[in-house]
Amino acid sequence: MAKARGNVYLCPRESALRGIVNTVGEILLQKDATLDAKGLMCPMPIVHLAKKIKEMKSGQVLELLADDVGAKEDVPAWCSRTGNQLVGTETEGKLLKFYIKVK
Amino acid sequence: MADKQDRMCMVVSEGSFDKAMMPLIMGTTAAATGTDVHVFYTFFGTKLVTKKGSKPKLPGMWRLFTGMFIKRMKAVGIGSYAEMLRQAQDMGVSFYACTTTMGLMGVKESDLLPGVKILGAAAFLKLAAESQTTLFIG
Repeated sequence: MAKARGNVYLCPRESALRGIVNTVGEILLQKDATLDAKGLMCPMPIVHLAKKIKEMKSGQVLELLADDVGAKEDVPAWCSRTGNQLVGTETEGKLLKFYIKVK
Repeated sequence: MADKQDRMCMVVSEGSFDKAMMPLIMGTTAAATGTDVHVFYTFFGTKLVTKKGSKPKLPGMWRLFTGMFIKRMKAVGIGSYAEMLRQAQDMGVSFYACTTTMGLMGVKESDLLPGVKILGAAAFLKLAAESQTTLFIG
C-alpha cells in the first residue's frame, strides 16, 4: 500500500481490503475528490457519479456521499458493470460513503 | 443470430407522465453505465417526442397531482421531463418515433423534438434483437 498522501479514512470491518491496514486499523488511501449526492434519489447519484468519474484520471479515488437507500446496491452494481473498483464503503447512520478507484 | 450487445432497447406506447419518465430514468442510468440506449416511441407514446406533447400529465384523476409529482422529483434531483430528455440526449441516448404512428396521427417530421430520429419497426426490431435488455413501457 502506498503511503498516505492526504486524507485517511477508516476501513470498514467487512471490507476485503481489511488486510491492508496500518497498526491502528486505518486504511491509508488518498481521496482525490468528493462527490456529494446527499438528498438525491435514484438514478441521480449514479448519473452524477458517471459524469464525475469521466472527469477523473485513472487510479484516482473518488469519495461518494449518498443517502438514497437504493445507492447501497446501485453503486456496487454500477462499479462492477463499468469496471471501476469499489475499494471501500462506510455507513454513518443514513449516510453512505463509497470509495471508488477510477479504472 | 448476431451477438448481443451492451445495449438496451425500450418501447414506449403511452404518453402519460409516468410512462414518459420511466424510460428516461432507466435510460440515463443505463447510459451512465456505458450502455447504448435506444427508446422507440409508438402509438400514444409518440406525442412525447413532439414539440406539443413535451409536457405530459399523469393519467386519469392523478392528472391533477402532476405538479406535485414534478415538485417532489425536483427535490430529489430529478429534473422536469424536458430537462431529463435533454440530459438523456447529452448522455447519448437515442430516441426514435415510429413511422407508422406518425402517419396515423398526422405527426410530421418537423413536429418532432430536435435530435429525435424516425425509425420503422423492422429497423427497431433489428436493434432490439441484438440487445441484452429490452423493455416495454406501456
